[in-house]
Amino acid sequence: MPEIMQYIPGSSIFHRLNPLTKILMIVLVAVLAVSTSSLALLGLLVVALFLAAVATRLSRPLVQQLPLLVSLVLSLLLLTVLSMQAGETIGHMIPSAVPLIGGAFPITTGAVEFGLLLSLRFIAMLFGFQLLVISTQPHDLVHALQRLRLPVDYALMFLIALRFIPSLQLEGQRINEAQLARGYNPGTGLRGVIRTLIPIIVPLVSNSLGRANVLGLTIDLRGYRTPRRVSLRDRSLKRRDFAAIVLLLVLSGLFVGASLLGYAA
Amino acid sequence: MIALEDYSYTYPGRSEPALDGVSLRVRQGEVLLVTGPTGAGKTTLCLAASGILKHEFGGTAAGRALLMGRPVEEYADLSAIGRHVGVVFDDPEAQLIFTTVEEEVASGLEGIDLPREVLLQRMEHVLELTATADLRERAPHTLSGGQKQRVAVAATLALGTEILVLDEPTSELDEEGTQMLFRIIQRLKAEGKTVLIVEHKLDALFSLADRMVFLEGGRILAEGTPDDLLRDERIRAVLHTNPKTPSFCRFGAEGSAGAIGTTAPIIRIEGLVHEYGGVRALNGLDLSIEPGEFVAVIGDNGSGKTTLIKHLVGLLKPTQGRVTVAGHDTQNETITGMARHVGLVFQNPDTMLFEETVEREVSFGPTNLGLDDIAGRVERALDEVGLSAHRQDYPRSLSRGERQRLAVACIIAMAPEVIVLDEPTTGLDAAESTRVMALASRLRDEGRTIVMVTHNMRIVEDYADRIVLLEHGDLVADSQNGGEEVICQRLCSTSREAASFTV
Repeated sequence: MPEIMQYIPGSSIFHRLNPLTKILMIVLVAVLAVSTSSLALLGLLVVALFLAAVATRLSRPLVQQLPLLVSLVLSLLLLTVLSMQAGETIGHMIPSAVPLIGGAFPITTGAVEFGLLLSLRFIAMLFGFQLLVISTQPHDLVHALQRLRLPVDYALMFLIALRFIPSLQLEGQRINEAQLARGYNPGTGLRGVIRTLIPIIVPLVSNSLGRANVLGLTIDLRGYRTPRRVSLRDRSLKRRDFAAIVLLLVLSGLFVGASLLGYAA
Repeated sequence: MIALEDYSYTYPGRSEPALDGVSLRVRQGEVLLVTGPTGAGKTTLCLAASGILKHEFGGTAAGRALLMGRPVEEYADLSAIGRHVGVVFDDPEAQLIFTTVEEEVASGLEGIDLPREVLLQRMEHVLELTATADLRERAPHTLSGGQKQRVAVAATLALGTEILVLDEPTSELDEEGTQMLFRIIQRLKAEGKTVLIVEHKLDALFSLADRMVFLEGGRILAEGTPDDLLRDERIRAVLHTNPKTPSFCRFGAEGSAGAIGTTAPIIRIEGLVHEYGGVRALNGLDLSIEPGEFVAVIGDNGSGKTTLIKHLVGLLKPTQGRVTVAGHDTQNETITGMARHVGLVFQNPDTMLFEETVEREVSFGPTNLGLDDIAGRVERALDEVGLSAHRQDYPRSLSRGERQRLAVACIIAMAPEVIVLDEPTTGLDAAESTRVMALASRLRDEGRTIVMVTHNMRIVEDYADRIVLLEHGDLVADSQNGGEEVICQRLCSTSREAASFTV
């Protein structure tokens, strides 16, 4: 079973960068992604992030997201095509040859472009965020977030969410098997699926809620909510961090420049 | 170190006190064992002794609770208490917050104002002491329950706690995990830590505990050395303990009970190979089981026991070989089809309970299979497991033992010929274990075939007719097929291990 959004041990340049540097990276990626509406530049950003992942051998988890991304892109496209019309009409969702309803739902270039724009922005941010998460120990991430003055409780919430993703995956699988052994039949169709999810979701949620009490007591007793005083790891910014930050800023400058020039032209 | 003086406590919204005039003193370096039947107030005692009741629960308390000589209310909050007292709860999953073992232990340390070198040294010492040093890079979801509990102990010891309170720490653990944890407690005792432990797996603790307290109905009924308390006939009866060392060897002495091949087997496994992504879990296994047999499958973690039983109901399909149950080849049947013949009761009943009432929970299976007379089936199943009085109750509000029996009822109602039990006594106290196992025996007597996976050698000895031993995916011994000696050796060595806590 592929694990979603989990830290992958390694020694790539991403692993060795300070979490603060990586947080700066995703902030820049997010800002750039929303600041431009050029498809070419956004495509370039996505490709650049992916190449960075390939170069550091972290591309596999990104590729694993492909099915999710494809369905996301398709649904965004469907949504924009149905909801907006701009530019030229390049076809219809229902071919004009069909009697009565033929020619309904025109597909326009403006809608397709906007759908792609949203998709690429989302993909860029997801790739950036994923590179951060898979190359940073959650512990270090929490420290970094605290150094950025994020209250410790929020940092803990983020951490617990990451920690319990694989546990919930495993538990969901166990529950599914237990219900299958009782002749449970996963339904078909949207209504069927929703109705038949109850035997899986109810135990999953109840078991998780049952854990909350012990989890809370444990966090308090172990003093995880007190601010960190000592660091058992070296967390200072290194020369490579400064180099990476300069590089990121230069690339961002070029990106913004290209974006502005694009507008001017 | 811990003192309760005439302490009484009533939970908010309740009228009956959970603790009633309890006086207790835990001395430095002492291991105190608290025991008693379900509902005696053992968990409440743990929460009171560690100051959690005072700081988290509200309710009404009378008397005094002292920690290190100071009343618990004088501590600012739980993290102030956490510097002195570590608490390990029963649920291993909920006590690990970080994504690797090392982070878990390091994180508590980083809140302490001491030089880095001292803290690093302490971390290494704690990892060593709890036998978790080789797990340091592992993520929580890849650990066994026993390993998780050891990490939980490590994380609390890292804070420099002098006192450890353990509330049924082994209730979700198998035999191996339990023994390992007890071994760690023994080491802590040698290090001079003070330990208060609530347990119902007593055999191994008798030699470890300095003193023992017997709690019932929120009152301390007896207190003394374990030897003193066990002389009391009444306490022995409640605890269902048996001071004798089990012999286990009736299988060898009397030979096999039934001759092989007199009737057609109901389960036939031929050359079963199973691979998970290229890793072999089962290695060409052959096994025939006849109707009405009670077979125990034993073996270490990772020997392939769970993989084997999942094949019986078709949750897994053979990579090679054949599995036939009641004449149906699992390769050609759906899981629903197999569920008519094989009922699988999972280790933890909470993985399946989802309905609003006990009655509806039991009817889920037979309804899925499209069986007739659902109401009658539900009634008979509930009657069989002794839960008829609870038919309108919310399943999750039942006690752990009742939930386990409810899980069995859900399976019986589907009327399978074969019932598979995965670790049926995990999390149950002695009285409930006996009840569940007596139920399994009765089902066998009614003509059903029982296959049970367990680490608990006592129930193997008491209930199984036949034992098969798995090792690394191979069936290495079968008590009915010339394997008596191997199995006896195995059982006896396990029982010696259990009894060897005197070290």
